[in-house]
Amino acid sequence: MAGRKITVVISQAPGKNPVKRHLEEEIATRLMLSGTAEVSVVLHLYDLTADHTGMLWLKSLRGNLVVLGWLYPRAIRWVLDRNGVKGKEGESRLNRIEDADADDQEHPQEEVAASRGIGALDVPNRLIYAIDLRNDGDPEVYIKEIERLADLVSVPLVQLGFGGGLQLPVLPGNGPATNGTATAHGANGNGTPDHSHNGDTGSVISGIFSNGNSNGTNGHAETPSLPMTSPAVIGGGDVRRRWYPVIDYSRCTNCMECIDFCLFGVYGVDHSDRILVEEQDNCKKGCPACSRVCPVNAIIFPEHKTPGIAGAEGGPVEDFKIDLSKLFGAPSALEMAVLERDQELVADGRDAVGAAVGLPKRQTCQPEKTRDDLDDLMDGLDSLDL
Amino acid sequence: MSEPLVFMMGKFEARIPVDRMYFESHFWAVPHGDALRVGFTAYAVRLLQDVYFLDWQIDPDTQVRKKQTIGEIESSKAVSTMYAPADGRVIQFNEALLNDPSLINADNYDKGWLYEFSTTQPLLSPDEYVKVLEAGWEQTQRLLKNQFNE
Repeated sequence: MAGRKITVVISQAPGKNPVKRHLEEEIATRLMLSGTAEVSVVLHLYDLTADHTGMLWLKSLRGNLVVLGWLYPRAIRWVLDRNGVKGKEGESRLNRIEDADADDQEHPQEEVAASRGIGALDVPNRLIYAIDLRNDGDPEVYIKEIERLADLVSVPLVQLGFGGGLQLPVLPGNGPATNGTATAHGANGNGTPDHSHNGDTGSVISGIFSNGNSNGTNGHAETPSLPMTSPAVIGGGDVRRRWYPVIDYSRCTNCMECIDFCLFGVYGVDHSDRILVEEQDNCKKGCPACSRVCPVNAIIFPEHKTPGIAGAEGGPVEDFKIDLSKLFGAPSALEMAVLERDQELVADGRDAVGAAVGLPKRQTCQPEKTRDDLDDLMDGLDSLDL
Repeated sequence: MSEPLVFMMGKFEARIPVDRMYFESHFWAVPHGDALRVGFTAYAVRLLQDVYFLDWQIDPDTQVRKKQTIGEIESSKAVSTMYAPADGRVIQFNEALLNDPSLINADNYDKGWLYEFSTTQPLLSPDEYVKVLEAGWEQTQRLLKNQFNE
C-alpha cells in the first residue's frame, strides 16, 4: 500500500466515554495496520490551547490532512484555522449523510453565500478533510472513506528497493518496470495525480517519504503482522473544558456586530482590522448570545446543544419531533441574545443593559405599520427551515 | 361555574375554562396564596400529546424575565423549550410532575399545574385568550405541517 499514506489525526472526545474511545482506537489501529495512514491522536480540539503540545503538533503537519473529531466538520475546520492549521476544505462523503437526498439546487446557494465572507488568510495549498465521528459508530465507515481519500490525494512516492526482494527503482524514463508505473495505472477519472503502485509492500521506508512527520510514539513497521496499539495521545493528560466562539471566515463579512455586542471583551481586531476572537477565555461559559446577533451565522459555539449554533450546516438533523418552542413564547434571536447577555452581566456583578447597548439597528426609523397577511406569511417562513 | 369556552382544533374540542386568566403563550393562571399557579391550557396539551419528560433549568424562587428559558419539555410527538410567560418570579415547581409528568395529560387544569409564579404583568381573559387561539391557528397549522414535511 505504499504510495498512498495520508496523514490522519484523531481528536479524542472529551471525558471518558468508553464507546467513543473504542471507536477512536479501532480506527487508529486498523489504519495503521493497513498502512493507509500516518495516525496520531490528540485531545479534544476545541479544548486545546494554542500552545498545547497537541496543537503545536497539528501545526507542524504538512500536506493533506484528515482530521476526525467529535464536532461538526465546520467547527473542526475553523477551530483549526484559528490555531494556524490551515488548508483548503476537503469534501468528505461522510459528512453529508442527511443531504444525500437533498436537492442539488441547495448547494449552489450555500456556496454563493459562503463566498461573501472575508475568508481565511494565508491558506496553504493542501486539503484538510474534517470528519465528524458522531456520524456513525462503525469504524469501517471511516476506514473506507479514509482509504478513498488516501487514493485521491496522496503524493506519488518513489520506491527504493530496501529490505527484501530485488526491485528496480521507478524513475521517469525507465522502461517497462516490473512494479507498476504511473503510466501503467494511468490517471484515474478525477484527474488527480498518478501514483505509483506496487503490489509488494514492506519495502519502503515510510518515515522518509510520507506526508506528515512520523508521530514518533510507535515505531512504524510496515509489516501488517506486527501487533499495533493505538498511538499515545500527543501532549497527553487532561485539559480544562473551554467555552469560546469560533468565527467561520467563509461567512464572516467583518461587519463588527459581535464586537459591538459582546461586553466581556472576547472580540478584537487583528492588524488588518479583521474581526478576531482575541480573549477566548473571557467568554462566559454556556453563553451563546453573540452567535444570535451575527447576521450571517458565522459564529460557532461547537459545544452548544443547538446544531445550528454548534456549526451544523443546512437544516436540522433528523429530528422527528416537532419543536413547539415558537408557540410557547419563544423569543426572537435578538431578544434571546439580550436576555442571555444580561444574565451574564448580572452574574458578573454588573448592570443589565437590555437592548440599549450594542445591538444592530435595523430600520428603527420606520413607523410601525399594522400587520397584514403578507406579514403573517413572512413570519411563517421563519418556521420553514429553508 | 359556567361552561368552559371551546376552541376547535380541527376536530378536537379544546376546553378553555372561564374561571381563570391566561397567558398568551398558552398557560392558564389561578391565584394561589399571594401568587399564581400556572399550567398548560388544553390547546398546549393537545399539541404536545403524551408528556414524558420535563426539566427545569432554574432553581425555585428565582426572578425571571419574560421569554427567558426556564426549562424543557418532551413528549411523544414534540419537544419545546419552556420560557417564562412574563417578567416575574418563579416560586416553586410542582414536585409531583417531576416524577410523573403524565399528570399534565391527565389533569392539566388542576393537579397537572407546572409552577407557582408571581408577576405584575396583565393577563388575558378567557375570551381574549380564545381570540389569540383563533388568530394564531392558521400559523400553528402551517408550523406543524412544515415540520412534518421535513
